[in-house]
Amino acid sequence: MAEPLLGFLGEFGTPEALLDAAKRARSDGFKCIDAFSPFPVEGMAEVLRLNGDQRIGWITIAGGLFGFLGMLGVQLFVNVDYPIEVGGRPLFAWPAFFVVDFEIMILCAVLFAVGGMLIINRLPKLYHPLFGTPRFGLASADRFFLYIDASDPKFDPARTRSFLGSLGAWTVEPVRP
Amino acid sequence: MASKTPVIPLTETYRDISREVARIPLHMPARVPWLIALILSLALLSLFLASITYLFARGVGIWGLNIPVNWAFAIHLYVWWLGLGHAGTLISAMLLLMGQDWRNSLNRFAEAMTVCAVICAGMEPIIHLGRPWFLYWMFPYPATMGVWPQFRSPLEWDVWAVMTYLIVSILFWYIGLVPDLATVRDRAKKRGWQVFFGIFALGWRGSARHWAVWNKTYRTIAAIAVPLVVSVHSEVSLLFAAGQIPGWHSTIFPPYFVLGAAFSGFAMVAMIAIVMRHTFQLGHIVTERHLDVLAKVTLAMGLMTAYGYVFEVFDAYYSGEMREIATIHDRFFGYYAWSFWGAVFFNFVPLQGLWLARVRRSPVLLFLISTSVVVGMWLERYMILVTSLYKDFLPSSFGYYHASFWDWSTYIGMLGLFMTPFLLFVRFLPSISIFEDKEVLAREKAEAAHG
Repeated sequence: MAEPLLGFLGEFGTPEALLDAAKRARSDGFKCIDAFSPFPVEGMAEVLRLNGDQRIGWITIAGGLFGFLGMLGVQLFVNVDYPIEVGGRPLFAWPAFFVVDFEIMILCAVLFAVGGMLIINRLPKLYHPLFGTPRFGLASADRFFLYIDASDPKFDPARTRSFLGSLGAWTVEPVRP
Repeated sequence: MASKTPVIPLTETYRDISREVARIPLHMPARVPWLIALILSLALLSLFLASITYLFARGVGIWGLNIPVNWAFAIHLYVWWLGLGHAGTLISAMLLLMGQDWRNSLNRFAEAMTVCAVICAGMEPIIHLGRPWFLYWMFPYPATMGVWPQFRSPLEWDVWAVMTYLIVSILFWYIGLVPDLATVRDRAKKRGWQVFFGIFALGWRGSARHWAVWNKTYRTIAAIAVPLVVSVHSEVSLLFAAGQIPGWHSTIFPPYFVLGAAFSGFAMVAMIAIVMRHTFQLGHIVTERHLDVLAKVTLAMGLMTAYGYVFEVFDAYYSGEMREIATIHDRFFGYYAWSFWGAVFFNFVPLQGLWLARVRRSPVLLFLISTSVVVGMWLERYMILVTSLYKDFLPSSFGYYHASFWDWSTYIGMLGLFMTPFLLFVRFLPSISIFEDKEVLAREKAEAAHG
């Protein structure tokens, strides 16, 4: 028990119970909480105030612009650097350029979105202390976990543990590094 | 969005869904049929490798194509394969955005089918190049001769469209797969499986923060993927429509191609769904309701494709162009009339059975009708290429096309290139979306609880 405590993990049986527990933990003043579930629980993002994060949208737009302008630049440059005259048609064939431009805009937008998602979520991260908690494996099957981190100003080992119990958690486990 | 019959039966539990799907990679239930299928597809793959080895050694002259029909099997199959692939993206992306819960049982393997089909599609123009080792000429790189690709040509657009489509399909599929890989990782008992799934699951923990970002990303990519599908097949149709060949030079081509693609693709998804459901006893997850909606979508797409046929004929007559009308007559009565009438018959006649609920819900009948659609679309792509090319403006350059042995062996072998990765996917990865089906179940349970 000499190892420091990272937080407590409470186990719930249904998404509704988890949502309810998260709401009560928030209204009780806990800030550093996280929920773990086998699928996204509807309403959880609102409870944990995660909806304000619009970074992915901006990253995707940045990717799209990068692809669009970059590919347009390539096509314009190529036609200046090695002009191919075809029956006096304009070198800058905007409608024709738009096709490849559109594809590369999409490609870069998607690459940026996926990369951004991985960076924001700090994945891949093959090991995490939570994986050392015996029941945590069920978070990908049919159990729903509420985690209260020890860094929370309201955190107190004994009281937080019994608080999770009072929310209706089936089991409460300490998380250690 | 309450519906009469739930998509996932309410008697299922979250654990049932994990178990039913995760057992396929972890404890393969149908070892023998799978092995037989794999041996068959490896045999086809060897045929493909043998065919392209000979092709690379001797050149495209081993195929039946020649002036005037210099685009035949390779290009017709390119269009066909790419079309089959499109349904996967449409099911995953479009139906996700429209909140159609039933798509959650089908999207995973439909996307895998897309990836396999796009690989085959991408292969076709490459082997058709004649000198495939010069493929990189299509990309703008600082060549010593100072030349660059011609970005004003539809042939150049092709590379970018297919490359983008392949990469986006793989990423979309993989991003959706990560949470399920985590589920299988946590269920795996053997060390080897734990490491295999553990690495590919990237350490996914199902955190609400991760889900929130993931959800936004997944939906963003979905919203981008829908116009991508439309643009890719429109671009393919421009390979034809941008030329002046009679029978190709028409504004109906982009929508006609996209709809035909979705039509054959949905039929293909129905076929795969029926086979998987039967082989792995997935009747609880892929229910009759799924077959019913798939059949309805196929029917709707088929009728829209039929509109394309009608409009094409109208377009030719309305244009008053002698050669356009002659091409239509060649399609009706000419040497290749079998491909036109075959396409009309296989695409639209058995399809009418899908008006009946009994037929839509019968796996055997739906499978047969879907097969007929896939064959019909195959004939249609053949018809579009060959009947337009074999007689164009100059009577001196009329000529016939006959597929050679190597045309067929390359095509039949390529079925192995499609089936082998798909079978490996079914064997080693969760082929149905576990967490998305749980999501549906949770929603249904909540609805049932509220009465």
